[in-house]
Amino acid sequence: MREMNRRTFLLATGRWLLIAGLAPAVSGCGRVLRWSESQGRTGQTEDTAATGTTGRTTTTVSTTTTASATTSTIPAGEATTTTTTTAAPAIPDLAVIRGDSPDANVRAALALLGGMERFVGRGDRVVVKPNVLTGRPPEYATTTNPLVVSAIIRMCLEAGAAQVVVLDYPTASARGAFKEAGLTQAVEQAGGTLKYLSSRDFEKVEIPEGEAITSWPLVTAALEADVLINVPIGKTHGMAGLTLAMKNLMGIMGDPRGRIHQDYPRKITDVNTRVKPHLVILDCYRTLMRNGPTGGNLNDVAMPKTVVAGTSQVAVDAYGATVMGWRPTDLPSLVEAHRRGLGEIDLAKYDIVEGTA
Amino acid sequence: MEGREPAHPGAPGELGGGERSSPPQDTGRRGPRARRRGLHRYRRVFQTVFLILFFALLTLTFWPLGNIWMSGFLLADPLLAINSVANGVFKWQFLLAVPVLLSPLFFGRAFCGYVCPMGFLVELIGPRRERHPGPRARGFLRQVPLFGLMVVLMLILFGSAVFLVFDPLSLLTRSAATLVYPAVDRGLRLAGDVLYETGVPAVQDGVDSVTSLLTGRLVFTDGLAYKLQLVMLIMFIGILAVSWIERRLWCRHLCPLGALLGLVGRRAVYGRVVDDQACSACEACTAVCSMDAIRDGGLSTDCSRCQLGLECADTCSRGAIRWGRRPQKEHAHDPSRRALLKAGGLAFAGAFFLYTGLGRVQRNVFLIRPPGARSELDFMATCARCGQCMKSCPTNVIQPAVFDAGLEGFFTPQMDYRRAYCDWNCNECGKVCPTQAIRELTLPEKRLKVIGRAYIDHNTCIPWADGRECLVCEEMCPVPEKAIVFTTGGGGGHGGGQGSGRSGNVKLPHVVPERCIGCGVCQYSCPVTNEAAIRVRAVVPTGFLSR
Repeated sequence: MREMNRRTFLLATGRWLLIAGLAPAVSGCGRVLRWSESQGRTGQTEDTAATGTTGRTTTTVSTTTTASATTSTIPAGEATTTTTTTAAPAIPDLAVIRGDSPDANVRAALALLGGMERFVGRGDRVVVKPNVLTGRPPEYATTTNPLVVSAIIRMCLEAGAAQVVVLDYPTASARGAFKEAGLTQAVEQAGGTLKYLSSRDFEKVEIPEGEAITSWPLVTAALEADVLINVPIGKTHGMAGLTLAMKNLMGIMGDPRGRIHQDYPRKITDVNTRVKPHLVILDCYRTLMRNGPTGGNLNDVAMPKTVVAGTSQVAVDAYGATVMGWRPTDLPSLVEAHRRGLGEIDLAKYDIVEGTA
Repeated sequence: MEGREPAHPGAPGELGGGERSSPPQDTGRRGPRARRRGLHRYRRVFQTVFLILFFALLTLTFWPLGNIWMSGFLLADPLLAINSVANGVFKWQFLLAVPVLLSPLFFGRAFCGYVCPMGFLVELIGPRRERHPGPRARGFLRQVPLFGLMVVLMLILFGSAVFLVFDPLSLLTRSAATLVYPAVDRGLRLAGDVLYETGVPAVQDGVDSVTSLLTGRLVFTDGLAYKLQLVMLIMFIGILAVSWIERRLWCRHLCPLGALLGLVGRRAVYGRVVDDQACSACEACTAVCSMDAIRDGGLSTDCSRCQLGLECADTCSRGAIRWGRRPQKEHAHDPSRRALLKAGGLAFAGAFFLYTGLGRVQRNVFLIRPPGARSELDFMATCARCGQCMKSCPTNVIQPAVFDAGLEGFFTPQMDYRRAYCDWNCNECGKVCPTQAIRELTLPEKRLKVIGRAYIDHNTCIPWADGRECLVCEEMCPVPEKAIVFTTGGGGGHGGGQGSGRSGNVKLPHVVPERCIGCGVCQYSCPVTNEAAIRVRAVVPTGFLSR
């Protein structure tokens, strides 16, 4: 052992203390950074939330009633407003088409609703949200039919969309789930863009009308999209009864989304007050009648060969429930949504056009 | 063993150029031009190519590319192959190890010098100049390979593959899988986040498309993370760091694979040949040899160490060293019988008293092995602890065991169902396992493979304990005929009515034992904080006593 005088001893001790102190200091800096980042984030989200809602209300207004403040930048939008004013009763609330070809059904349903041009303008960024809960081939009716998704992508592109992004937040690993569901190929061929979500795609968003949840991390791309198209598939669900359009929005919710299941009707309604897709297309070509929502058994799959399209989540779900053999009032989430003023669940009050393709 | 050595081997400062009139070794070092001839000039090229190949294979080990050849380097590892075959596991791909095992008969430890990526890293990162511990320490260190081999032999006899923790290829695979790829994942994610913050749509689209390309391959939705990362880091750095005690100490004395190849190749047919007429005994070669393979003042070679790097030939100012057929009489490697007995005895005693069998009794009901894993005893005996299964797992559920499998099971794969779950559509781990400790199952087989069974804790389960709705476990259960069913009613048998007034018509989950396969998605997604209210427990009888 070398002898040490006091000076060298102090120097050595100091050096080690410095090194020992540096590590926690660095991690501390990291924490401070993260904290300050989160402070900035909430401010930002308020901004985007504000613009998001205003943007959304103008569009819904322009589609349902005559719009004074139409999105004047989009010529297609103007054209739609004129059609709505002149031929307002011609466009039904819900279009229901039955037929042997999933994509023809979708096209026919959209034609009844005024064509995809009514929703998608030139240069719009469209987000399509199918149900890709987990990876299963389409025959098992666990995930939205790839033919339906690709038809929607093609129609959006035909209407002039700049980009059609297909996204979901599967519970299985994303690449595998999309591939197994046949969506990777379908999206690629139709000219859409598949987006695998990661943590940067979620931002904590305030839900002003929320009762049970007042904020939640949601997919920013879905909120900021010019057009959000919700494309659920009809399935049974052990707890919710059915999973249709309203519950499909769970796929743009970040973790811990498992918590949604306690007091589920209120919580899913809260989310639906914040996120209002511009177009809802319920794929009931195949439906999962038992062991939902994951399925995996061909005996549990029924073939109503139906598509239900509309602009209201609640309206589509109310009709969708009847396709699955339920009454709308049997679904607690629908009853709750009705109570909160999100829409009627009495189908008699809707203008529904049914047809075949 | 030490008999023939000079008093201070490889210390040319003291001995070199003493009696004989030899040129000082500094002229010999970057010596006469145009002397570097032969294949060994391209040694660095070989090493680089094999290192790149190693990392290319490891990087490509992701869903759904899984294939046994992804573990090509580990298949070529004779230690792994011998261990597997000794335990009755054979796959024809193990034959890849045969040429590697037999090559030392002809070329000594050329594998170490030209192929081994771990050796390359040790060589690349370690110091260039020779360093010495004391002569006694050197003498001791030179006995380590033999002793290590004895320990390996004993461990194989006692059915434990724990020595493979120190196998260089397994070690590198494991370190890279648990350290490099999480770092790459994080780095890419961070870069993407930073670029995303710019807010420029074109940049964001670019980030999105790159992310889409790499998701599930290099970037993961829920970032990669492994237990024991720090331990792996310390171990890896330690192996590199001992080079500062003695140059390439790991390759010279500690590496068990090197010891095995050295044992096979101690009378190699081809190798370093010295022209003793030309040799001036300057010992420049002894100083430059990175493997401590030159003895007798430069005249003889220990072929159990020589890796045919032939730095010696490049250094020799007299051109006395070349590569060629070695004279049959000259072998520097000659461990005494006494040392062998000592090593064998010690190793036997150690193994005998350490492995009484009691430690193998599986007591941990939460120790779930990946689907296809052999019974616990066989698994312990064959698992190479290489981490290939962890690298290939798309959900990151396969984690290294810390203490759950006992000390012997350190770094064996274990399912961590709070981290992730076993994907219904994936059978990758068995496809890449180089020792087939995890058997390769087809997807339909794997979906029926019972690796555990979920049990509901009625004290914490939300519907059972609090009388509130939940059923996430039932929702997520991937089995076609759901293994979790529910009854509606007054709270089952277990104080259900106690929880709240609402429990009268709440749906209460139950596990159907014959349907549950133990994939753990219920445990993963259970919203109860920290410890899930539904946990997968081992049900397959395993362990020493249950055989």
